[in-house]
Amino acid sequence: MSEYLLSDAEVARFLVTGYHLVEPELPAGLNESIAAQLDALDHNPGDAITEAVPELWQVLNHPTVKGALVSLLGPDYEVQSHRHWHCKQPNSPHMNWHQDGLNNRDVLLNRFLGLYYPTDVTPDMGPTIIVPGTQFRNAPTDRMATYTNIRGQVPLVVKAGTVAFTHYDLWHGTAANRSPHKRHMIKFLFRRTQDNTAPTWNHDPEAANKPADWNERDQAEDVTNILNFTNPLGVSQSDHYKERAIRRQNWNYLMGLSA
Amino acid sequence: MDAPRQRLLYLQARTPSVMSSIIGLTLIEPVAGFAPEIHAESAPDWPYATVHDAVVDGWQIVQFPHLQAPFDDRELDVIGYEFILQKMEVIADE
Repeated sequence: MSEYLLSDAEVARFLVTGYHLVEPELPAGLNESIAAQLDALDHNPGDAITEAVPELWQVLNHPTVKGALVSLLGPDYEVQSHRHWHCKQPNSPHMNWHQDGLNNRDVLLNRFLGLYYPTDVTPDMGPTIIVPGTQFRNAPTDRMATYTNIRGQVPLVVKAGTVAFTHYDLWHGTAANRSPHKRHMIKFLFRRTQDNTAPTWNHDPEAANKPADWNERDQAEDVTNILNFTNPLGVSQSDHYKERAIRRQNWNYLMGLSA
Repeated sequence: MDAPRQRLLYLQARTPSVMSSIIGLTLIEPVAGFAPEIHAESAPDWPYATVHDAVVDGWQIVQFPHLQAPFDDRELDVIGYEFILQKMEVIADE
């Protein structure tokens, strides 16, 4: 399993940006088979999507997917019973920014989403769009109504089989689907069941404790500098300092230290 | 002669200064059926880099960012500081 676990830098980047993409090498034909079954569905089965399309479990059980989940939520992570098939129909409009649920932000890493895309997603297919670094913002969705494009937003234009892990509170929306194709995404929800007592990823104590490097700043590949300097949206100094404090609190929590 | 209509520009800036760089931009055209749209791109091609750039181009600020909300130096909420600007122009319907 260790070969599939995340590195210190990958965990730190997830804390900073609120997302991590994996491209598991799934069995030949699996994505196509799942996409064909979704294309043929005549109603949305809700949580029963995994009963309608049982092959979805092969995605969740792939070692690359499990490696990321163990790294970020610990070995006893739970695949929650809620899941949902999102089908972005051809000629459907964009969806405004929102955070799921109520705006009571969770500043520790205890749950997040996994978004599986069984087909290639091109820019004209209405990709999911996320705003890196917004996961710690306690912003009611109504307050986002006057935002449209945000510099630094990331369209999930991905290859078939990609799983995007996204922090539950990350701002997200979609572009319009102007293609003739349905754009499928299956959303899964994962939850931590045990606090960490030690790192659950490929942790290198020496590399993770490098001093701040004011020359490399966010170009550095080590935990200290990723947590200190990365500012994906170019927010103000005040906000950046607040983000930095929450990131460090998260990191200590994942390390099994007192958060 | 047609009456001028109000074009609106929402700019979310990095700080409350008009010299601040822009993080978010929404243009609302006073035309029936118009709707702003999120595009599948990371670096939108905007006409202005700062709020001041828009003012230089003739936009007038009609609302400055609200800075009198309860202050909390730990909580993060919305992105940036929102300026709302307008231009009154005669718009030709197609």
